[in-house]
Amino acid sequence: MTLALASVALAVILIPAPAAAAPLERFFRVGAGQYAFTPASLRANPGDTITIELHSTDVTHGLYVDGYDVSAEAQPGQPAALTFIASRAGVFRLRCSVTCGTLHPFMLGRLVVGPNWTLARAAALAGLAVLAAPLTLRKAAE
Amino acid sequence: MRAETLARLLVLGLAAAAVGFPLAARQRPPLLHARLAEQGGWAPDVLRAEAGQPLTVRLTSDDVLHGFGVGRTDFEAVLVEPGKVTEVTLTFDQPGIYTYYCTVWCGLNHWRMRGVIEVRGSDVQAGAPTPPLYAQLGIDIDAPHPAETTPAERPNALAAPVVALEFSFDQYAAASPAQLWSSLGNQPGLENLTDAQRWDLVAALWARQTSPAALAEGETIFRQDCAACHGPQGAGDGLYADDLASAGQAAMQGLAGAPDMLMQSPPDWQDPAILLGASPALLQGKLLRGGMGTGMPMWGAIYTDEQLWHVVAYLYTLQMDYP
Amino acid sequence: MKRLALTRSPWLKAALKSRWPQFIAAALLLAGFLFVIVSGLLGTPVGSRNFGIIAVWILWWALLILAAVPLAGRGWCAVCPIPLAGDWLQRGALLGPSGRPPRGLNRRLPKALRNIWLQNGVFTLMALFSAVILTNPRVTALALAGMLAAAIGLSAVYERRAFCRAVCPVGGFIGLYAQAAPLELRVADTAVCAACASKACYNGSESGYGCPWGVFPAGLARNSTCGLCLECLRACPKDNIALNLRPFGGDLEKPAARLDEAFKAFLMLGAALAYAAILLGPWGGLKAAALAVGSPAWLAYAAAFLFICFGLLPGLFWLAVRLGQVFAAPRRRTARRSDFALAASALVPLGLMFWAAFSLSFVFANAVYVLNVFSDPLGWGWDLFGAAGLAWQPLLTSWGLPLQIGALVVGAFWAARVARRAAAQGGFHALPVTGYAFGLTLAMMGLLL
Ligand code: SF4
Ligand code: SF4
Ligand SMILES: [Cu+2]
Ligand SMILES: [Cu+2]
Repeated sequence: MTLALASVALAVILIPAPAAAAPLERFFRVGAGQYAFTPASLRANPGDTITIELHSTDVTHGLYVDGYDVSAEAQPGQPAALTFIASRAGVFRLRCSVTCGTLHPFMLGRLVVGPNWTLARAAALAGLAVLAAPLTLRKAAE
Repeated sequence: MRAETLARLLVLGLAAAAVGFPLAARQRPPLLHARLAEQGGWAPDVLRAEAGQPLTVRLTSDDVLHGFGVGRTDFEAVLVEPGKVTEVTLTFDQPGIYTYYCTVWCGLNHWRMRGVIEVRGSDVQAGAPTPPLYAQLGIDIDAPHPAETTPAERPNALAAPVVALEFSFDQYAAASPAQLWSSLGNQPGLENLTDAQRWDLVAALWARQTSPAALAEGETIFRQDCAACHGPQGAGDGLYADDLASAGQAAMQGLAGAPDMLMQSPPDWQDPAILLGASPALLQGKLLRGGMGTGMPMWGAIYTDEQLWHVVAYLYTLQMDYP
Repeated sequence: MKRLALTRSPWLKAALKSRWPQFIAAALLLAGFLFVIVSGLLGTPVGSRNFGIIAVWILWWALLILAAVPLAGRGWCAVCPIPLAGDWLQRGALLGPSGRPPRGLNRRLPKALRNIWLQNGVFTLMALFSAVILTNPRVTALALAGMLAAAIGLSAVYERRAFCRAVCPVGGFIGLYAQAAPLELRVADTAVCAACASKACYNGSESGYGCPWGVFPAGLARNSTCGLCLECLRACPKDNIALNLRPFGGDLEKPAARLDEAFKAFLMLGAALAYAAILLGPWGGLKAAALAVGSPAWLAYAAAFLFICFGLLPGLFWLAVRLGQVFAAPRRRTARRSDFALAASALVPLGLMFWAAFSLSFVFANAVYVLNVFSDPLGWGWDLFGAAGLAWQPLLTSWGLPLQIGALVVGAFWAARVARRAAAQGGFHALPVTGYAFGLTLAMMGLLL
C-alpha cells in the first residue's frame, strides 16, 4: 500500500507534460502601476520568443523574470521592452525590480511557460498525502 | 566585580551603543531628500553655494526613483534611488539662481519637484536680462492661434521648388507656417506656385533653420520630458493627459468664474490647424515660460535657449517632412 | 512516545543552568531591538533599505517561522527582549534572585485574562494594519516601542509576565504552533513533584525565580504556556526538570480542546490566506485597499478579513465537525461543543505550514536587503561591510516553488493525522475535518502558485 502510494506520488511529480505546439513570437504589452502588473499573468509555450513591452503608469517600475534573470525598467511615458526565449517550462514569478513605493516587494505577476501542471501536481500530492496519513497512524498503533 | 554589576554594565553599555551610535553619527550636512511632489518635493528646496567653490550634495529618495539635474548647466543628471545615497559635487562659475529638478518621471506632478541653488559671488555680471522673443514681438502666447489655411497634403521640404529667397532667423521666429504660406503668395516671382508647392517651400525654409543634430536633440528632449503628457506623436493623448484634464477641472471648481483660465489638456499637434498656426516664437515662449497653471512646466530655468529652439524645430516635424 | 532528555548531558545542563548564555543572547537582542526602534524612527522611510523593517520582517520573521517555531517551539520566547526590562524591574536584578521581595503591585492576573482571547484581539488589530506596519519603518518602530512599554507597564501592575501570557500578539501563535515542535520542557518524574513541599519551580527559590509564565511544570502537558525561560530548571532543588527532544507534533498526539486556541488557529489560517491574496496575489486594488487605512475600501477589506477569520472559516469548520459527529453517531441530536475545539488542533500543523509556505515566497526574494541594511542600516550612505551597494536579486528562485509545495503537502498530511487522532479521542468522524484541511490547502496552493 505504502509502496503503491509512493509510486503514484513519484509518477505525479515526474510525468512530463505533453509537448507543446510549434514556437511562436509572442508580444505582451504589460502595464505597471503601484502595485500591480496588467495583465499579471502571461502564458507562452516552450521555445516561444517572448517580447514584453513595459508601460509604467505612475512612477518608474521594473520587470524581472524569475528563472530567466532578465529585466527591464520603464519610466512613465517611456516604455521599455524585453525579449527572451522561453526555453524553460514552468511557472515563473514576475517581480517589480525598481523600488516603487511601500508595497514594491509585493508587486508580482507570473509567467506560465507550457501547460501549467504545477498546481494540478501539487494538488494531487496533497491529496495523496491526506490519503496516506491514516495509514501511517495505523502502522504506529500496531 | 559582582556578576550582577557586570550584567548591568553590559546591558547599559549595549543599550547606550544601540541608541547612541545612530544619534552620534547623524549626517551633517543633512541629506537632500527627494519626495513625490504630493509629499512636498525636495527637502530642502533651497541650497546655497559660492561661485567657484565646490558644493557637495548628498541625495536620497524617500519614496520612489527620482533623478537630480541642474538646469542650464552641463552637469550630468544622476539617479536618486530610494533609501540609497548618491553624492555629487557641483561647481558654479557664475553667480546666480540655478534650478535643480527631478529628471525621472514620478507622477503627474513630477515637474513640480524643483528647488533652487543660490550661488553668490563677487563678479556679478550686471546688465538687465533681455526680454524673451515672444514678448519683444508682442505675441500673446495664451491666446488661441488657429491657422486660417491648412495644407491638403503634408508639406515636404524635399519636394519644394528651388527658389533663391532670403529667410532670416527673425523672419522664421516671428510668423507661423500658415502666416508665411499666405505672405509667400504675395511674393513676386512665386505667383505661379500651386498651394502645395508653396507649403513645400514653407517646409524647406523651416528645414533651413535647423540641422539633423539639432532635430535629434529636440526629439530626445521631447521623448523624455514632453511625451508623457503630449503623447508620443504630440496628439495630446499622453499617459497623463486625462489626469491633467481632471486635475484642471478640480482646480477650476475652486476658482469662481475664471473660464478663460481653463486648465488645458495638451493641444493636438496632429491637427495641422493648431501646430501650423503657431509661430516658433510662440512655441518657444510657451516652453520658456510654461503654462502658468495649466500643468505645462516652465522650461526656461532648465534648458538653454538653444535647446529650446531645437525642441521647437522638432515639433514642426510632426506636421512637415524635413530631409 | 519516546523522549530524549537533553538535560542528561551534564555539559548542556550546566550551560542551561548558567544564566550567562541566555542573558548575553537576550541582552544583545535587546540592543538590536532598541536599534530597530531608533533606525525605524530616524532612518530612511524606505522600508526595503531600513534596518528596522528588514531586520524584523525579513530576518527575524524568517528565522522565527521557518526555524525557531518549527524546531524549538517557544525558543524565541527564551531570549525575547521585550519582557526583559519588566522582569528586571520586578526582580530588582538582572541575573539570579536577590532575595528581596518582588517590586511593583504584583497583582494576580485576573481570571478573565488567563487565556489568549486578548492576544487574538491584539493580533487581529495588528493584522488589519499589517500592510502599513510591514512596510513603514516609523509604524514598525512605534508598534515595537508600544509592545516594550506595554510589557513594562503590565509588569509593574501584575505579577510574573502578564504581557507574554495575555497580550503579546506574537506569543499567541508561537504558543499555538509550539505544540508541533520537537522540543519540550517537562518534569522528569511527576512522583517527585507530588512529594515536593517547596514547589520551588512555581514559587521560586534562591537559585531561580518562580515560573514567570505562571506555570506549574508538573502540570505541563503542552508547550503552549511554557516560555522555555528555564527558571524552573534553575529553581528546582530536586533536579527534576528536563528539556526533551521528542518527535514532531508531540503535543498533538493527545490534542487538547480550548476555544480561544481554536480561534487563534482560524485567525492564523485566515491571515495566511488573506496575506497570500493581498501581498502575493496580482490584484492591485486589494493592495491599495489594505494600504489605505481608514478609507472605505480599507473598511471593506477589514470587514472581509474579520468575516473570513471569525465567520467563514469557523463556520465551515463547525459544519465539518457536525458532519463528522453525524457520520459517527447518526442518532445523536446535539452537537458536542468540545469536539469543535478538539478538532481544531488539526489546524495547528496546517497553519504552521501555511505560514512557512507563505514566508518562503518573499524571504528569499528579498534576502539581499538583509545584506544591504547591515551595511547601511539607516539609509544614510554608510557602507560598514561593503554590501550597501549590492543590487537586488532574488535568491533561490527555482527552489521557492518546490519548497512551498512541499510545505503545503506536509501540512495537509500532518493535519490529516492530527484530525484522525482528535476524531478518535472525541468519537466523531475525521473525514469532513480532513476535507476541510485539504480544501484550505488547495486554496492556499491556488494563491501561492
Ligand atoms: S520544584 Fe522541582 S520537584 Fe518540586 S514541584 Fe517543582 S519541578 Fe517538581
Ligand atoms: S515552566 Fe519553566 S521554563 Fe517554562 S516558563 Fe515556567 S519557569 Fe520557564
Ligand atoms: Cu513597481
Ligand atoms: Cu521625481
